[in-house]
Amino acid sequence: MAEQNHGEQLDRFVDAVLVDRRAALPDADAELASLARVAADLRGLPRESFKERLRADLIRRTSMSSKPAVAPQVTEAVTPYLCVSDAAAAIEFYKKAFGAVEVLRLDGPGPKIGHAEVRIGSALVMLSDEFPDYGTLSPQSIGGSPAKIHLYVPDVDAVAQRAVEAGAKIVRPVADQFYGDRSGQIEDPFGYTWIVATHREAVPAEEMQRRLNAWTKEQAAVPARPSYMREGFHTVQPYLVAEDGPALLEFAKQAFGAEETMRAVGPAGGLHAEVRIGDSMVMMGGGIPGRPFTSELKKTALHVYVRDTDAVYAQALKAGGTSISAPQDQEYGERSAGVKDAAGNFWYIATHKGETYIPKGLNNVNVYLHPRRAEPLIAFLKKAFGAQEIGKYASPDGVVHHAEIRVGDSVVEMGESHGAYEPMPSMLYVYVPDVDAIYQSALAAGAKSFQEPADQPYGDRNAAVTDAFGNTWYIAAHAGEAKM
Amino acid sequence: MTPLKKEADERLLVEAAQRDPARFADLYDCNVERVYAYVCRRIGNRDEAQDVTADVFHQALANLPSFEWRGVPFAAWLLRIAANAIADRWRRSSREQQPGENDPEPYPVDPVNIEDVERRAMVFSLVETLPADQRRVIEMRFAEEKSIREIAAELKRTEGAVKQLQFRGIQSLRAQLDTSLGKKSGEAYG
Repeated sequence: MAEQNHGEQLDRFVDAVLVDRRAALPDADAELASLARVAADLRGLPRESFKERLRADLIRRTSMSSKPAVAPQVTEAVTPYLCVSDAAAAIEFYKKAFGAVEVLRLDGPGPKIGHAEVRIGSALVMLSDEFPDYGTLSPQSIGGSPAKIHLYVPDVDAVAQRAVEAGAKIVRPVADQFYGDRSGQIEDPFGYTWIVATHREAVPAEEMQRRLNAWTKEQAAVPARPSYMREGFHTVQPYLVAEDGPALLEFAKQAFGAEETMRAVGPAGGLHAEVRIGDSMVMMGGGIPGRPFTSELKKTALHVYVRDTDAVYAQALKAGGTSISAPQDQEYGERSAGVKDAAGNFWYIATHKGETYIPKGLNNVNVYLHPRRAEPLIAFLKKAFGAQEIGKYASPDGVVHHAEIRVGDSVVEMGESHGAYEPMPSMLYVYVPDVDAIYQSALAAGAKSFQEPADQPYGDRNAAVTDAFGNTWYIAAHAGEAKM
Repeated sequence: MTPLKKEADERLLVEAAQRDPARFADLYDCNVERVYAYVCRRIGNRDEAQDVTADVFHQALANLPSFEWRGVPFAAWLLRIAANAIADRWRRSSREQQPGENDPEPYPVDPVNIEDVERRAMVFSLVETLPADQRRVIEMRFAEEKSIREIAAELKRTEGAVKQLQFRGIQSLRAQLDTSLGKKSGEAYG
């Protein structure tokens, strides 16, 4: 209470001193008086923007004065010289992402920048536009750059964040490295890869070697991602659709912090988007303004594991979702809630109460099916995809309330439709080693063909079948780099 | 940091900047708060104080080659440039002004207390060490001169919460100031 009082009194003094620097210090109380003195000292606090502007201005001036007619003092320094497709835009990007300061720009020949220099901290970087006649070509013209640029900064997380905001792509997320740096790799919009790092710990060379050996051994034990799966994808992806595709995408972002990794016009003429939620990918399709969605609007239920169910539930409602069930503790060791998005998809939000917030063997996002009967669907998954039943919980009257079926590195969950949970034919995208073979076995297991196997322009070969309960299964193998 | 060590460090920075002007930024970083604190003590208007501060560093950069190390701290040299720049400005504005019209404030005759400048410079630079939310409030309040109500609206917090952050910010500045000043007593500029 006394502190609150002091807070009020101090603020009244701040008001006074901002108007008149000679405002009398309150003399009532020694404690307050000494705080008021600091407040009086703060009057006229210089603006950050002013200090930065003046600093940049001085650096510009020094770079001019350091380029006299005589050659600069020779000090050994390796300076990257980057050729980029748009030097002016690159300078802007390096300013935003790395706090670079432009120190020199020579215009021409023509509308191009013949030479420019920027300073990032104390390091100099030179750059220019492309000049094919002189053999000066950018990574974008020759398909990439094999050289990477290593940049030490005081706060790698903040710099990586700014770089992404300025348009860079994360190649490797920022993480602590065995050699004592915290670092990540980003690719700038001009095709150069930057290893951005903050030094954390001095590691002796022998220790580095020891850690590298340990890491190499560990990596050998991890099975490599099969080539038929796209990087970052699991075996089973939910494929959500909505009349308003962008709205669905926005919901996933706002409610679940989904990160958009792709947005394109798909082969059917509507939106195709992909988002990352934690370790999982969710595919999305739908109409965009001027291009209504013409395919069947299926609804899918997802079981999404998050660190804080209550917080995500609140975000989901704020993002326009409607509540299916408020957060509550479940007897099976989870806190969970349910939200329906505007397109009618069900999002079951859950936090596992164990060592990790995701139960072992599951992913951040898992598809949850609601067939009228579970057994025939489980049989279909076994026959078509070689799936394995992990667990099944039925009530005494024989209703299967929950079953978990492993398909590759994913788990497909299901609960028979009952009560409020009506049958919900869904859409799924499954990566398999051999599209044609799995397509045949799916047909043999009783599915109907929806699309015969075909190579797609976006780098997958795929087919689609519909099971007895109306779920559509895309059966796909990744062939090359996705380009849409 | 003992005064002797500080002097040695500063000397290295000055010599580095004399060899390579690009290193002038380091000297700027060490002294901008000090120069600004000195200038704004004598010039109440923020825009003018910024102009004069910029002017001081421009002149310092231009004259850096002629700075000789004779035991006078670099900061004292900067403040002398600042004093001259302020005096010039007063002379100019009193010449330009028609008598009776917008009388300029009287030339501040009281000499600026150097310890006071040091203290303020230290408060200015300590603001950067505050936790982010306190720092934001202190900057909005004292650098951008916004009211508690404006800050509360902008940060989407209650006025009470903003006052609390302001209070805590000033409290931790005082605590840090006490520690730093305790260590620094005895230093003075000639």
